[in-house]
Amino acid sequence: MTDNTTNAAVTHRHDWSSDRFQGNLARRRRGEKILAGLGLGAIALAFLMLAILLWTLISGGAQAFRQTHVAIEVPISAELVDPADPSEGNYRNVVRDAMQATFPDAEPSELRALSGILSNAAQFVIRDKVVADPSLIGQTVSINVPASDPYDQLQKGNVDTDSDESTRRLNDAEIAAFQQLQDQGRITMPVNWALLANADSRFPELAGLKGAIIGSAYALLVCFLISFPLGIGAAIYLEEFAPKNRLSDIIEVNINNLAAVPSVVFGLLALAVFLGWFGMPRSAPLVGGLTLALMTLPTIIIATRNALKAVPPSIREAALGVGASRQQVVFGHVLPLAMPGILTGTIIGLAQALGETAPLLLIGMNAFVTAAPSTPLDAATALPTQIFIWADSPERGFVSRTSAAILVLLGFLVMMNAVAIFLRNRFERNW
Amino acid sequence: MYDMNRVETDVTQDDIKIAARDVQVWYGEKHAIKDVNVDILDKTVTAFIGPSGCGKSTFLRCINRMNDTIPSAKIEGRITLDGDDIYDRRIDPVQLRARVGMVFQKPNPFPKSIFDNVAYGPRIHGLARNRAELDEIVEKALRGAALWNEVKDRLAEPGTGLSGGQQQRLCIARAVATAPEVLLMDEPCSALDPIATGQVEELIDQLRSEFSVVIVTHSMQQAARVSQKTAFFHLGNLVEYGDTDDIFTKPQDSRTEAYISGRIG
Repeated sequence: MTDNTTNAAVTHRHDWSSDRFQGNLARRRRGEKILAGLGLGAIALAFLMLAILLWTLISGGAQAFRQTHVAIEVPISAELVDPADPSEGNYRNVVRDAMQATFPDAEPSELRALSGILSNAAQFVIRDKVVADPSLIGQTVSINVPASDPYDQLQKGNVDTDSDESTRRLNDAEIAAFQQLQDQGRITMPVNWALLANADSRFPELAGLKGAIIGSAYALLVCFLISFPLGIGAAIYLEEFAPKNRLSDIIEVNINNLAAVPSVVFGLLALAVFLGWFGMPRSAPLVGGLTLALMTLPTIIIATRNALKAVPPSIREAALGVGASRQQVVFGHVLPLAMPGILTGTIIGLAQALGETAPLLLIGMNAFVTAAPSTPLDAATALPTQIFIWADSPERGFVSRTSAAILVLLGFLVMMNAVAIFLRNRFERNW
Repeated sequence: MYDMNRVETDVTQDDIKIAARDVQVWYGEKHAIKDVNVDILDKTVTAFIGPSGCGKSTFLRCINRMNDTIPSAKIEGRITLDGDDIYDRRIDPVQLRARVGMVFQKPNPFPKSIFDNVAYGPRIHGLARNRAELDEIVEKALRGAALWNEVKDRLAEPGTGLSGGQQQRLCIARAVATAPEVLLMDEPCSALDPIATGQVEELIDQLRSEFSVVIVTHSMQQAARVSQKTAFFHLGNLVEYGDTDDIFTKPQDSRTEAYISGRIG
């Protein structure tokens, strides 16, 4: 009996169509489907989150790309503006006269409130025009000036006119006055170029990103100039020349650790070293760039080492075999072949640096600066710190401008990543 | 007249190009080459045969100091090229490798043009004084590697675009462009098809007129076809060294006999 079963087992053919095997197969198929489904679900969730993020930003920020303007006729009298010195004229009263001309029925006591429809910058817009062309004195000039933030919000439909008068910034009389301007066809909403062309301002209708964009550009330039050559040099030494021993292992582990250090720690380091010991200027993009370089260095070193490792050893052997020195092998063959990978890693590192906020806060790049920096030593903000400042501001107009600034920052990041992908595809090699 | 010529060839053939004495190689703890003594002759093809891991490639790489690039490798003993110790401190490995060229197992042209591949060695060693001289060197090397007629109209095209056999001959051209005295070949045909192998073998036979050629091969037929001298390595030892005909027809050592008759390998 026992012998029989043993013999049967040896010659036995599995019955693949039996319930046992079919069940097994079904279970495996089910497991595979569940895994694929979970993966798909995770990706769908990620896309949903991305869509929600973009939708929130675009719906909130779109308004900031337009700005309400008021067209007014400004009589420039020689009494208020001295033709000999047009820059010192009493432009506040020039604006008042213009509002008087626009609202002929208004009492003089109401004119102050009516002038509030126009941006605080209206008088400076007029002044600049007159200074540029003093022959305007004595004439009446048509000018398009930005409306102040409460009226801009009213025009954009962010004010509920049916709500209790005491709960809103504009009373019924002010809304009526603005309605009057609208009926006269004086209200327009052109594209808000000031968002890109102006530096920061207390007044949302005047605030722009110019200072932040230039500040970020300077900081990134400094960051690149320092971290790129240093990072490549360090990576080449570690990968091609350093002896493989305990010391180089320790260095390697610590570079990887450095890449994981929270950025705020680098900010504290920069505060202590660059500002404290070296006495560099506060809020300067130069210091910001140095700080970001500290963070970007490990990223570039790791990316460069991986790119160098990916160059096939046969190329090194070929060059060594005809008598190239190690330096000739590295600079003549390995480095050029690794360059696409190095550039991709560098751009991704710089994109990270562009979005970094915490270390810049610690070195004072969140200052209120109303002029764009002309050198890397001037005080400036950067895009992420500008977003931080605006998000903190109470004026209603800054809400949409914060979203708009985030969109601008994301636009730059997408551009940088696109360049990285382009470089990778353009220079990718098959061996 | 005929006899005189005959005598001359004999004399040149007996010129010892490379002499190895008591060579030992360690990779870390592993004793890869044990007590190897061998005299490699000028204008001769010497084949190193033996089973995988027997140390034949390792020994080949000692001759142009390619093992220097492996940090754990340690070499003892004495290898001389024309009587000069190549491990002497005064010898620069970079210059040695221009005198002892090497062709690798897998064709490894640089991802550059055919011209630049061949011109690389002459350029880094400053062998050409001007462009015309460089052109001449490149043409001579490509002719020497029997590749000139196939590529003379497309020297600017990438070397990686050639077929496998052409790539390997390009690598041979690159090696001979520095006018080496010895050419080391590490299984140069193992990645090639039979037709390309035949072309390379024919080429090796021609190269013998100018260089001392040392070839590592897995194929005993290849060793028999191309070489005049054969060395059999086994487990790091040089078991037997002699005329190729003798090794294959009347081996002295039982291990050699076992290997060539296919019992070990």
